[in-house]
Amino acid sequence: MQLRRALGLLPLALLLLAWELAVQAKVYPPVLLPAPGKVLLVFVEDWQTVLDNAAASVARVIVGIGLSFAVAVPLGLMIGRYRWLDLLTDWSIQIFRSVPPISLIPLAILFLGIGDKPSIALIFLSGLWPLLINTIFGVRGIERTLIKVARAARAGELLVMKDIILPASLPAIFTGLRLAVGAGWLTVVTAEMIAVKSGLGYMILNAQLTFRSDLIIAGIIVIGAIGLVADQLVRRIRAHVCRWQEGLTAAQE
Amino acid sequence: MNRFIECVGVGKIYPGKTENVEALRGIDLVCDAGEFVCLLGRSGCGKSTLLQMMAGLERPTSGQIAVAGRELDGPSPDAAVVFQDHGLFPWMTVQKNVEFNMKARGAKAAERAKVARHFLDMTSLTGFADRYPHELSGGMRQRVGIARALTTEPKALLMDEPFGALDAQTRGRLQDELLQIWEKQRTTVLFVTHSIDEALLLADRILVFSPRPGRIAADIRVDLPRPRASQSAGFSALARELRGLVGADRDID
Ligand SMILES: Nc1ncnc2c1ncn2[C@@H]1O[C@H](COP(=O)(O)OP(=O)(O)OP(=O)(O)O)[C@@H](O)[C@H]1O
Ligand SMILES: [Mg+2]
Repeated sequence: MQLRRALGLLPLALLLLAWELAVQAKVYPPVLLPAPGKVLLVFVEDWQTVLDNAAASVARVIVGIGLSFAVAVPLGLMIGRYRWLDLLTDWSIQIFRSVPPISLIPLAILFLGIGDKPSIALIFLSGLWPLLINTIFGVRGIERTLIKVARAARAGELLVMKDIILPASLPAIFTGLRLAVGAGWLTVVTAEMIAVKSGLGYMILNAQLTFRSDLIIAGIIVIGAIGLVADQLVRRIRAHVCRWQEGLTAAQE
Repeated sequence: MNRFIECVGVGKIYPGKTENVEALRGIDLVCDAGEFVCLLGRSGCGKSTLLQMMAGLERPTSGQIAVAGRELDGPSPDAAVVFQDHGLFPWMTVQKNVEFNMKARGAKAAERAKVARHFLDMTSLTGFADRYPHELSGGMRQRVGIARALTTEPKALLMDEPFGALDAQTRGRLQDELLQIWEKQRTTVLFVTHSIDEALLLADRILVFSPRPGRIAADIRVDLPRPRASQSAGFSALARELRGLVGADRDID
């Protein structure tokens, strides 16, 4: 276990080494490619800036993905369960999910102005589709016998939803949540470069204007680190909520 | 005797991609209330299909099925089903699984727990109430399915190879338990099995199925006194006759 963890750090260590070597060899002037130590200094000297902007980005993703979860999961459960709803929505879902949320930035700004609203709306959209599609997929995957057990017991629709459809779909819902959080995080950084004046995306873009490449790289590191932590967090929650799945699936993720 | 289940000209065709499967053809059958009927036949001759149709879980493609004098249009509140593949909810503990049919009827939690304990004791699952299905052996899962079906004291029990995965000793004990319940509550039992001995040990009547398409090849009354012993002359004679009936089909293949 310890060894496996260490193995995951190896490529990062190599990257760091290559970076340091490139600095030593003066491949680029220091103003473009700062030394790792200089970037580290950002976290000491400018930690307030980094923290504030990271918090702004994280808050937007939590709100945006929270909204997609609240909409996509109930909707997905119903679409998966009721054939007519599926027929009603299938094409629309396929069409709208092919639209990259980033391409909607101009519209979002036109309609919602500059600020939190357009970026949250875009995060909501980028999380909506993976969550919706995975939830539907989860409902479809329910073993047929289990539905028969419920019908034979003449279980009411509410009980079927709560005790059967929802728990059976949870593993797929969490797969969707992982994808949604990933997509939301990508979207927030991009949206912040255009549609709002705070957050890591804004910080990076602003740093470019002031030739602070150390701040840019620090920002990128934070973006990557938060992405990793968020993904691990969702996986942990999933492992806890779907304990009953242990031993059912061949390989643990 | 009053008729409990009545099938008239029942047939079932499963639509397939390349060709349709005719699982059953022309099934005429009357089961009286309180009768113990075994469905005997080799794999694939439509026993499960017929049972599921009588449970209201599959629709016949032709013919009619009536239960308690009413044309069947869905699962009846009077019947409970034991599924061939157990049909346990993997996200529920053994306790919750056993309680499900009662919960579907709106029974109170305390009442459910009490009844569940009784049937868990009967099926020797007392210490396993808090386990998940994937932690159980095949035979134990089967017993959970049986316990669940018994909890609502149904008028009819539709059991699909309920004892198939059990060791001889457990099977013998549960056969006795089932006969006791049947005698005490005058339950109508439809019981699918592969075992000639099991059918002879339990049934008032044995329906022998022949395959492709599934039909009832013979309807044999078993008038041996209970408790039955497989050593008795009457038992062996019937066993020989049944072996002939089931085996004759094998030669036709
Ligand atoms: N849902 C289904 N879709 C398509 N074909 C089916 C379906 N269920 C059963 N069949 C087909 O119908 C036929 C009868 O199946 P059934 O399960 O009723 O047999 P069985 O007598 O219960 O067999 P076994 O003893 O192996 O359980 C088989 O040929 C099977 O392939
Ligand atoms: Mg079967």
